[in-house]
Amino acid sequence: MQTPSFQGTHLFDRLCWAKENLDGVQSDYRVVYENSIDECAKILVPDPNWMACALQGGILPPVWVYHELAKDEAQPDFKKHTRGYLLHTTEPMPAMTEEEAIEYLIMKDVPQSVWQTWDEGNRPKMVICKKEQLPQQRTWRNAWRISDELAA
Amino acid sequence: MAGKIIADTLEHSTAGSVTTDYVVNGSAKAWVNFNGSGTIAARNSLNTSGLVDNGTGDYNQNFTNSFSAADFAFVMGGKFDSGASNLTQPITNHYRTTQTSSTVRIGMQVPNTGADGFDGDTVTSINHGDLA
Repeated sequence: MQTPSFQGTHLFDRLCWAKENLDGVQSDYRVVYENSIDECAKILVPDPNWMACALQGGILPPVWVYHELAKDEAQPDFKKHTRGYLLHTTEPMPAMTEEEAIEYLIMKDVPQSVWQTWDEGNRPKMVICKKEQLPQQRTWRNAWRISDELAA
Repeated sequence: MAGKIIADTLEHSTAGSVTTDYVVNGSAKAWVNFNGSGTIAARNSLNTSGLVDNGTGDYNQNFTNSFSAADFAFVMGGKFDSGASNLTQPITNHYRTTQTSSTVRIGMQVPNTGADGFDGDTVTSINHGDLA
């Protein structure tokens, strides 16, 4: 199915179009990351409807738009977004592969302090894996860490 | 987009009328239903880019279209199917919530158990507010 020309269309309207016209795509990829030594490993799971939008193309804004909005929100005098139009007026991303979509999602939803320096230090702070590689039982879930074997 | 209707008021033949402000402002702008146990995954959703499994009964819902500020309203709930008694129990407490305009953290807990968090077989989150 061809994506309509969405530049200038409110992002929420694009998402509603996608929900009506695209089948969700359950990705097997998971992103495991650690952003605090006091907390267990976290696992980012892509949403099926979002993944369908990423693979389709012409719907999602470039990831830098989210970074600009995050910068605004980090200001001490932030009240509400005044540059939300960036989500709607910026030329949408073309179709991505599943792997490119995961990279995009990492840059959108994983803290920058993790993905910008994921391989610095004594052990990796982030790993992309398949869901089959995760423990199937959640026993001691709050003690899960990225395996030291990956540091080699 | 095709099929666009511009209207300020919707009027029923007998039941009265409502302004479309009610529809625009009153509709949920994001929601998700997901499996919060095992390897978590969304079953269905709107305006959700992904979930984060932070630990036992502890999740984040991330939005594709951010809200205009962190003051949006959210409702969450869930249930789990107890293996021992095969009873479906509600999870009504949410003990950990933080939010920004682009994410909300959901902490699920079974009431009166003292447990710090509990993985639900079904976890839901519904979000109302103004979009960016």
